[in-house]
Amino acid sequence: MKLFLLCFLPIIGVIVPILAKGFGRSQIAFFTALLPSVSLALLFSEMFAVFDGAVISHQIAWVSSLGLNLSLRLDGLAFLFATLILGIGLLVILYARYYLSERDNMSRFYSYLILFMAAMLGVVLSGNLIQMWFFWEMTSISSFLLISFWNHKSEARKGARLALTVTGFGGLCLLAGVILIGETVGSYELDVVLNAGDLIRTSSYYPQILILVLLGAFTKSAQFPFHFWLPHAMAAPTPVSAYLHSATMVKAGVFLLARLYPALSGTDMWFVLVTTTGLMTLLYGAYTAVFQHDLKGLLAYSTISHLGLITLLFGLNRDMAAVAAVFHIINHATFKASLFMGAGIIDHESGSRDMRKLNGLYRYMPITATLAMVAAAAMAGVPLLNGFLSKEMFFAEVLEQRTIGAISWLIPVLATVGAALSVAYSLRFIHDVFFNGEPRDLPKTPHEPPRYMRVPVEVLVAICLLVGAFPAFTIGALLNSAGQATINNAVPEFSLAIWHGFNIPLLMSFIAIVGGVLIYMSRKHLFRFQASFQTINASEIFDKVIHQIQCGAQKVIGWIDNGSYQRSAFILAAFALLMLAIPISKISEPLERLAHTNVEIPVIVGCILLILGSIATVLVSHQRIIALAMLSLVGLVVSIAFNYYSAPDLALTQVLVEVVAVILLLLTLYFFPQTTPSSTTGPAGFARDILLASTIGAVIGTVCLLMLTYHSESVSQFYIDNAKTGGGGTNVVNVILVDFRGFDTMGEILVLGIAALGIYKLIARMRLSIRTRDAQGRLWSEDKHPMILSVVSQSLLPLALLISAYIFLRGHNLPGGGFIAGLITAVAMILQYFAHGVSWVIARNKIVYQSLIVSGLMIALLTGMAPLFWGYPFLTTWFDYFTLPVIGKFELTSALVFDLGVYLTVVGSTMLILSNLGKLTTNQRLKVKER
Amino acid sequence: MLLDHLAILPIITPMLLGIVLLFARLHENMNSQRVIAICGQAIGLLIAIVLLRTVIMQGPIVYQLGNWQQPYGIALYVDQVSALLVLLTSLVAFCAQIYSCAGDDKQGIFFHPLMMFQVAGICGAFLTADIFNLFVFFEILLMASYSLMIHGGGKNRVLANSHYLFLNLLGSSIFLIALGTIYAAFGTLSYADLLLKAQNIEGTQLLLAQAGIFLLFVVFALKSAMLPLHLWLAKTYSATSAPVAALFAILTKVGLYCLWRIHGVVFGSGTEPLSAPIMEWLSPLALLTIALAVVGILGSKTLRQLASYLIIASVGSLLLIIAQHNAQASAAGFYYLIHSTLAGCAMFLFAGIVVRLRPKAQDRFVSTRALPSAGLLSFIFLVMAIAMIGLPPLSGFIGKALLLKATFGSSWMMTSWALILLSSLVTLIAASRTTSHLFWKASGDAAETDKVHNLELIPLYVIAFLLLCLVVFANDVEGFTQSAAQQLHQFPLPQMLNLKGGQ
Amino acid sequence: MEIWFSVAVGVATACGVFLMLRAHTFTLVLGLTLLSYAVNLFLFASGGLTTDSAAILGDKAINSDPLPQALVLTAIVIGFAMTAFACIQAMRARSESGHDHVDGKEQRDISTKTETP
Repeated sequence: MKLFLLCFLPIIGVIVPILAKGFGRSQIAFFTALLPSVSLALLFSEMFAVFDGAVISHQIAWVSSLGLNLSLRLDGLAFLFATLILGIGLLVILYARYYLSERDNMSRFYSYLILFMAAMLGVVLSGNLIQMWFFWEMTSISSFLLISFWNHKSEARKGARLALTVTGFGGLCLLAGVILIGETVGSYELDVVLNAGDLIRTSSYYPQILILVLLGAFTKSAQFPFHFWLPHAMAAPTPVSAYLHSATMVKAGVFLLARLYPALSGTDMWFVLVTTTGLMTLLYGAYTAVFQHDLKGLLAYSTISHLGLITLLFGLNRDMAAVAAVFHIINHATFKASLFMGAGIIDHESGSRDMRKLNGLYRYMPITATLAMVAAAAMAGVPLLNGFLSKEMFFAEVLEQRTIGAISWLIPVLATVGAALSVAYSLRFIHDVFFNGEPRDLPKTPHEPPRYMRVPVEVLVAICLLVGAFPAFTIGALLNSAGQATINNAVPEFSLAIWHGFNIPLLMSFIAIVGGVLIYMSRKHLFRFQASFQTINASEIFDKVIHQIQCGAQKVIGWIDNGSYQRSAFILAAFALLMLAIPISKISEPLERLAHTNVEIPVIVGCILLILGSIATVLVSHQRIIALAMLSLVGLVVSIAFNYYSAPDLALTQVLVEVVAVILLLLTLYFFPQTTPSSTTGPAGFARDILLASTIGAVIGTVCLLMLTYHSESVSQFYIDNAKTGGGGTNVVNVILVDFRGFDTMGEILVLGIAALGIYKLIARMRLSIRTRDAQGRLWSEDKHPMILSVVSQSLLPLALLISAYIFLRGHNLPGGGFIAGLITAVAMILQYFAHGVSWVIARNKIVYQSLIVSGLMIALLTGMAPLFWGYPFLTTWFDYFTLPVIGKFELTSALVFDLGVYLTVVGSTMLILSNLGKLTTNQRLKVKER
Repeated sequence: MLLDHLAILPIITPMLLGIVLLFARLHENMNSQRVIAICGQAIGLLIAIVLLRTVIMQGPIVYQLGNWQQPYGIALYVDQVSALLVLLTSLVAFCAQIYSCAGDDKQGIFFHPLMMFQVAGICGAFLTADIFNLFVFFEILLMASYSLMIHGGGKNRVLANSHYLFLNLLGSSIFLIALGTIYAAFGTLSYADLLLKAQNIEGTQLLLAQAGIFLLFVVFALKSAMLPLHLWLAKTYSATSAPVAALFAILTKVGLYCLWRIHGVVFGSGTEPLSAPIMEWLSPLALLTIALAVVGILGSKTLRQLASYLIIASVGSLLLIIAQHNAQASAAGFYYLIHSTLAGCAMFLFAGIVVRLRPKAQDRFVSTRALPSAGLLSFIFLVMAIAMIGLPPLSGFIGKALLLKATFGSSWMMTSWALILLSSLVTLIAASRTTSHLFWKASGDAAETDKVHNLELIPLYVIAFLLLCLVVFANDVEGFTQSAAQQLHQFPLPQMLNLKGGQ
Repeated sequence: MEIWFSVAVGVATACGVFLMLRAHTFTLVLGLTLLSYAVNLFLFASGGLTTDSAAILGDKAINSDPLPQALVLTAIVIGFAMTAFACIQAMRARSESGHDHVDGKEQRDISTKTETP
């Protein structure tokens, strides 16, 4: 439980600064610091248990299927890191209070900082790999926020994006690696994984696992060649740099190496990858650091090189080396944090970070200078300071390793070179900044910072000194338990003495120091030499690359998705053809056997008509009006076909729909050019389309023939048997429509209704140029409403209504029904519009078609819902027979009411569509008031 | 009394409300419309929750419409999967409806009724267990979507609608041909009966059946925007108004659900599944879809285009899951589906806000004068980006991890992992670029003229909260999706076919 | 006679599809109508073809399949709704873009066109 408090108090702490917004700056800082201090206290209360080698862990099941548990685990390593994170975190909070200016939004800064702290704490305390990844990514996000804190600055934005992209990439690799580990081991719990080292090393996935995990670690801890994000992260406020680049962010990477050391290390692959990376990073960082003019730049590259050193140590596959690495982690954290803070103070008080301007500051800020110098000396590895001890261990270890046989001597030599370089840049830091003449045109005259701004530096430097002077006493126990936890094994004997007698490591240190001094002496030449290379700016390159990629992607997308309907349609049709062709091509029956012999002249005639009609429609499709005529011919043939093949309902419906559709198309055509403009598709396109279309036609025809020959027993007999008894009607089709499958009909009329609404929507906003002449420029006929038509239509209307009523009523038993009746009515009414014109009709016909639709749908739906109240399912029908005098025996059925709904909807929709379309040409045209 | 008819309520409630909203007097008065619409969606949400609860408690529901027994009448079949999707639909619709009341609904008529009908159509497609009825509901939701598409008007929208409309009309014809073929081969339309008959069909009829099934695959592929039939999506979604696009976030899921249910189970069961040949194509197609989405995410010029390609990416991932064709993967898929649907919905709503606040630049990735309350907006965007990328602490990361686990050891494992992670990476890049362009790089202060409307923000808060819940209660959700997946993959034939109708 | 029927359906489908692949909205509407005729016939055929035995209960025995008829009826209605909507959509598109090209812009062969909308 304590553990959870320790881990989650900071998370709660994220909101504290926001709550404290109202208070003064010091108060905000104070409140912010509260919770972390509490968890630090909690942490220390566990200290002795941990030093005795105990592993305190606590779990709560979370996502079992994912193997993700809330699982915290405090061992030596975790303790060490937690201490660094919280301790230095607190110092940074204090420091930032003085560093940030009035303009900066302090509480936002603090909550980001605490978020980051919490995330780091989560990483190091995780007892579950996925949970660790969880917090790992949180660190990426929060560091993104911290680096971009001054997001009005371009370099801050760029730096943040760069850091996020690189570390995010690493994070994703880590996720993959972690899941591979989990799937291999069968658990994500650290305790299990750490003891399953052999299983992992022998599994076939080991190479992938190793590479993925290392990618995660190296990107995070800025190892070569992923180092380039770190210097640009310096755009962050200095407290952030002091925190991210000393104790936390970049240390997460090496923490991962340490954490998974028992599980992954011990193979040659590990040695090669980790050692080489570490070595290159060490040298590259150290070398580049020498040439930095920006104070923070120098520190950034030195950080890179020290991380390289640590990585190198882990790579050596030697337990003692791992311990040394842990030791150096501590030391680097302390002196690097203090150095960053020192640099921040200098920047803050002198207004510049450029070492070409900063000189001889010793006279202006002696105390700060002294502190900085001590820290820098520690960085250089000067005896009596902590840096020296770990450096000695480092030398001893690189001397010991023999993995690469005869050329093993290479590593110590290069290590010494790296050390020499680090001495050189430390020297430069000290000499250039604090001595070396007078400051040149600084924005302001430097002076000592406020008292408490210096406190954090003092504390850290004190630690450097103490550890350096009395290592065994100060750090022994911590290092021992941490090392033990790292290698998951008893730590080999080692002595934390300052003096081991004259030995090769000492010699190497000596060489390094002398060499460093020499390098610094000859810096002039070196700078000149270096100047001959042009400097490369990683973030600009990154921006360019990303931009290039985006442009490329835009091209590709633009090329694939050019918004052309024809392309989409072609692909769809082709895809469909492919899908159809695959199984059909497998059918072995010779087709001629499918051909039934009997020849019926009407069928042949009909088919020929249909074929000719369709082809004609295509051929004359540019002559739109003719094409329309051809089309309606086809429609007519279809309805005749339906009638011929004993489907009178279909025939009736088809004919009526035909009529309405043709009227609709004619009306539409009125607003369109009479001819299609010459084709926009090239001949190639034509050929392609014709080929595709005809192939599809052929295949569909074949399938049709197959269906006709091989169609299987269907469920239909049931309908025929139950139509009368169960549905109370003799017209099976109609009974299916309104009863057996009434739900389809419900949906169908809804579609019709929605279509009407949609069309209303479309028309309401339509702006059209009404043409007074046809294609040949002749005026439209003046005789709008021919006499005969008006007379006939008027007399026709009641008759039509009567017929539709009849059709409607008999629908349940004979061909007919609501839909057909509705269409008849609609056609009759449209005729009125034709005969007399819109205004005439509107004057006489007060029906609001919309409400027709509404009531129609409503009736249908309610008839469907009525049975619910008797406990029957939706759309259950009811019918019964009554006998009245005069009329005699007659039937009442709820299906009839349902059908009435259909009828009304059909009439309403059709009329709403056609009348509004018709009105477009008149002054009655529909206008929607903009609400 | 209504509880016995729970299954039908998600369909008829929105229908009824839609019709009510059309009453002449009502649709004159925008405020009462809004009240009814939002209450309606709330009711729908309630129904969906109750339905899901009942299904979890008492197992799948078979609802025989017109009281006609299977396979003769149409039946609704509600198992945990369809119930879940209905719940998702009503959630998304609820958010979109609230958002629309910030003013989008006034840019044309019939907005609220059409939303209702759209929801009815979608729910119907999720609930029906009859393949022709499915077609009908497809048409309902399509018709509603055509009409909603052009809501608000404007050249861009209308032209995009032409593309969308004619393409889908072609799709509907294909659907009908497929239905004809399937009916000829099986002589039945009910899922259960099809599943039964699919077990012992052979010879030419088998091949005929496959012809129909493969054609059906095309239709669903078109709906779910699978490569190469994705071309309509980005155009349509980035052209239409925000609430509509947000509601459309569930549309692609209809196609996916049908693939899952029909090709995965109805025709995908037994020793020699009829859909097997086509399902083998699914993995590569899915991977290609993700790959294209990756390019699209990098190449998109506007926030809405980005959101569209994010949708395509999630579609690809889900197709990959469907291709695995096992309950374990499906469970992961459902979790990811919940997450991605909500996140996608939020993205479009957010894009809508940006478009409204930047009249000239709209949602193009160019820096303009600062947005009003940019701090808040950038925070919201950060949250959604985290969800989309699949970073902790939002549900995306669990979804992603589950995806990786589900594809572990599959035939395309390496490619799948690479693409899934790559899609996250490019999303991250795109998101950070967006943040920098829309919120940080600001020239000049915000115009004080228009503010962010609360009604626009509420849905985003709701979704963010839900995504957080998905993480906190991940175990329960996972447990649920597990059992849902189990149910999906074992269709209760006897339960459906042995029910006798009352008539 | 099945052969003839199938050929007719095939040809109608081919013509319909071809028109659906064109670029002008009105042509598309024509194609849509034609295609839906073909599709309806196809769907109708899925139950087999029988002459003079309408699905009306009476003295005559019914050997035609009523279900496809019902399905086709639904299909016809929906098809009608769709055609109507497509017509008006085409008009609206024309009124917005000034001409009746489906993409709103006269364009050369699609394969050579590369800018995004």
